[in-house]
Amino acid sequence: MAAGSEVYVLGGYQTDFARNWTKENKHFSALMRESVQGALQACEIAPEEVESAHVGNFAAELYCMQGHLGAFFTEVDPAFSGLPTGRHEAACASGSIALLAASAEIEAGRYDLQAVVGIEQMKTVSADVGGSYLGTAAWYELEAAGVEFPFPKLFGRLGDEYDRRYGLKDEHLAEISRLNYANAKLNPNAQTRTWYMNKDHALCRTEDNPAVGGRVRIADCSQVTDGAVTLFLASREYAEKWARGTGRKLSQIPRIKGWGHNTARLKFDDKIAESANAEYVLPHVRSTITSAMQRAGIPNVDGIDGIETHDCFTTSEYMAIDHFGITKPGESWKAIEAGWLEIDGKYPINPSGGLIGAGHPVGATGCRQVLDAYLQVTGQAGAYQVEGAKNFQTLNIGGSGTTSVSFVIGVD
Amino acid sequence: MAHAPMSAAQMRQILASRKIERVVVLGANGTMGYGSGALFTTAVPQVTFLARTKAKADEGLAAAIKQVRSPTVALRVTTGDYEHDLAAAVADADLIFEALTEDFAIKKDIFDKVEAARRDDSIVATVTSGLSINSLCEGRSDSFRRHFLGLHFFNPPNVIVGTELIAGRDTDAAIVDFVDAFSQLRLGREMIRAFDTPAFAGNRVGFKVMNECAQLAGEIGPLLADKLVGPYTGRAMTPLATVDLVGWDIHRAIVDNVYENTNDEVHETLRLPDYMAKLMEKGVLGNKTGGGFFKKEGKTRLVLDPRTGDYRPESEIALPDLDYIDQVAALHRDGRYREGMQVFLNAEGEYAKIARGVIAGYVAYAFNRVGEVTESIDGIDRIMGMGFNAAPPSVLVDTIGVRGVVDMIGEAGLAVPKVLAEAAKTGQPERFFDHPRINIGRFFVAQ
Repeated sequence: MAAGSEVYVLGGYQTDFARNWTKENKHFSALMRESVQGALQACEIAPEEVESAHVGNFAAELYCMQGHLGAFFTEVDPAFSGLPTGRHEAACASGSIALLAASAEIEAGRYDLQAVVGIEQMKTVSADVGGSYLGTAAWYELEAAGVEFPFPKLFGRLGDEYDRRYGLKDEHLAEISRLNYANAKLNPNAQTRTWYMNKDHALCRTEDNPAVGGRVRIADCSQVTDGAVTLFLASREYAEKWARGTGRKLSQIPRIKGWGHNTARLKFDDKIAESANAEYVLPHVRSTITSAMQRAGIPNVDGIDGIETHDCFTTSEYMAIDHFGITKPGESWKAIEAGWLEIDGKYPINPSGGLIGAGHPVGATGCRQVLDAYLQVTGQAGAYQVEGAKNFQTLNIGGSGTTSVSFVIGVD
Repeated sequence: MAHAPMSAAQMRQILASRKIERVVVLGANGTMGYGSGALFTTAVPQVTFLARTKAKADEGLAAAIKQVRSPTVALRVTTGDYEHDLAAAVADADLIFEALTEDFAIKKDIFDKVEAARRDDSIVATVTSGLSINSLCEGRSDSFRRHFLGLHFFNPPNVIVGTELIAGRDTDAAIVDFVDAFSQLRLGREMIRAFDTPAFAGNRVGFKVMNECAQLAGEIGPLLADKLVGPYTGRAMTPLATVDLVGWDIHRAIVDNVYENTNDEVHETLRLPDYMAKLMEKGVLGNKTGGGFFKKEGKTRLVLDPRTGDYRPESEIALPDLDYIDQVAALHRDGRYREGMQVFLNAEGEYAKIARGVIAGYVAYAFNRVGEVTESIDGIDRIMGMGFNAAPPSVLVDTIGVRGVVDMIGEAGLAVPKVLAEAAKTGQPERFFDHPRINIGRFFVAQ
């Protein structure tokens, strides 16, 4: 146990985001249990080995009438009795915050092996009630109270701001939707893998694709999802031991090479007012991305083999394209038209299907992105594998661009 | 011939070897025709719906639009009839997809027309769920036979991803690989390679279980039979509710085909119960005729009495003490599937024994079909999981434990498949189901 250790990602497990746990008549505890046990099995780790555990979750108190989530570890296995546990919240970035906390404990030399669970069960309530719960990720009283589906409206306005500054065409947003759904078909755990979508449908302007927030239509939205993802993070010391024990080479085990973490003002209007004369529409998001790259020693996006970004709406992916530096600010459409974002393109984005295609169990998303990054850089992503990927970057956003976290996950 | 799964890179390379830009659907007014046609529009720019009349093909298009809830289907579909439009459409097509009624003569007739019009390099696929692939292309040209295969989507194709791919004796291996890669990468299918045997893999095993439950219902009633082989045993939908949904006529066509054309170790479990045949004469076909084993009258669920053909409200039917099912469901609810299945394994009483008999019969039947319907148990596992939404046989073995399963099979008076007997003795393999990214918990519903 040494302070300043690098943080290794040993692997993890994702529940199938197409599942509806209420329909299966399952309790929150089952969601937690399946993801943790799945990760233990996938990583060949005995529960006794785990030294500390972190849970990322947004709003189980609202969706499931359940708090104190860390304590559910003791229900997963008797060996977890006595385990230090806790829960972290930063809206849709909750999973990434749990990962940051766990990795900080490893860097501090406190623990060598950490379990991190990102989890959200959302299909317990109707769409409008759930939409209102999600509104608590904004400044509820000022931006969400009495508003039907507040978040699509906030991210619709992100599109409006792009349109105002640079111009924005619906067909480019439709292309983002098409690609995420198409990639999701390749992902056995993606929520929308059987849903009907192509560019025509994304551009459909009838009641089969209704507007829910200005320019944002249903095809532009991420999903209401039940899901959990568990990851194991380890110190170098533990990773070496684990590599020997499981017949791996240390060099093949991905590390968190870099991270970025920022918070901007809560209200969307305040963020936009602040960036009026800035180069980027959401400067804090840009800073999160570049600080993760800097810490990883990667000068720019050309050193990144693929991205798992926070496409809670097509507008947020459109924003991410230029914020990652794939194009100049306002020119994201060029990357879309050039086909750069495809799995075999120059800058693959969301080979998993992202939040639109794979699903968005709010507190689990940051962990799901890191698990997909891990699968990519270890060549285990199956049909959505980016050939030869060594470095993958994530971007996870809470609120309307408020809390942002980014990780660079890579092997040498 | 062993078939190893293809990597993403291999599949992309194979996919680049040909183009599928024009598809013709024959029989586009039928459920499988328009359902498959809608699926093709997600990945193919031009799909032609053909039927006996253009009006019928238009009905198919309307049904496709309704099924996937997108008027944009029409942007990629043109419609026509066999007499006027087949020759030109087939000549242009990269893939000709046959979905006519399950009648050998009717299919033969349409394939005559296809053969006269198709290009030498176009692929011809049939969605038949029972007719022999080799027989369907017998006597046709080399080019036809080399490009002909079974592509068996399950209904509804836009929802159920499990798909069987059946090569004929003369089908080019490269064509089989191409259709496999196309279906996986472009249509998001879970592909299972099945052999050209009656009902192939999924329906052979799946309908055996459903028919056994129908036979059981003749003795103990549909309500109790469906309760015993309920969601807690590893399925999203109960067996008899499934028969009502697919239709008694479809059920009968499948089990009769298997009964007449195979002779396996549990042949009699494939015989359609007499009471079903009698009720079918009176027009009972399941949900499509307003009811089968179950029917709804207002908010009341009625249950068939197989002896009389009458229906009684569910609430008036007394069930025996099935406390063990509640215990299993409570454990499943917390995600304790192994513990739940241990309670099932050890539950006392004649009814728990009957339920174990059906599940043991399912597992034994599946393992005994390896080499006959698929190359390995993996194909049967995946089609049961992704085609029937039921716990794959290997998942049941892993969850119950191989020794427990062997005991169950013995208790049911069945012969234990060799591979399971070996595993019980040696402890190897430790796990039968080797798909780390497929959740096994999803199969065990807490009811």
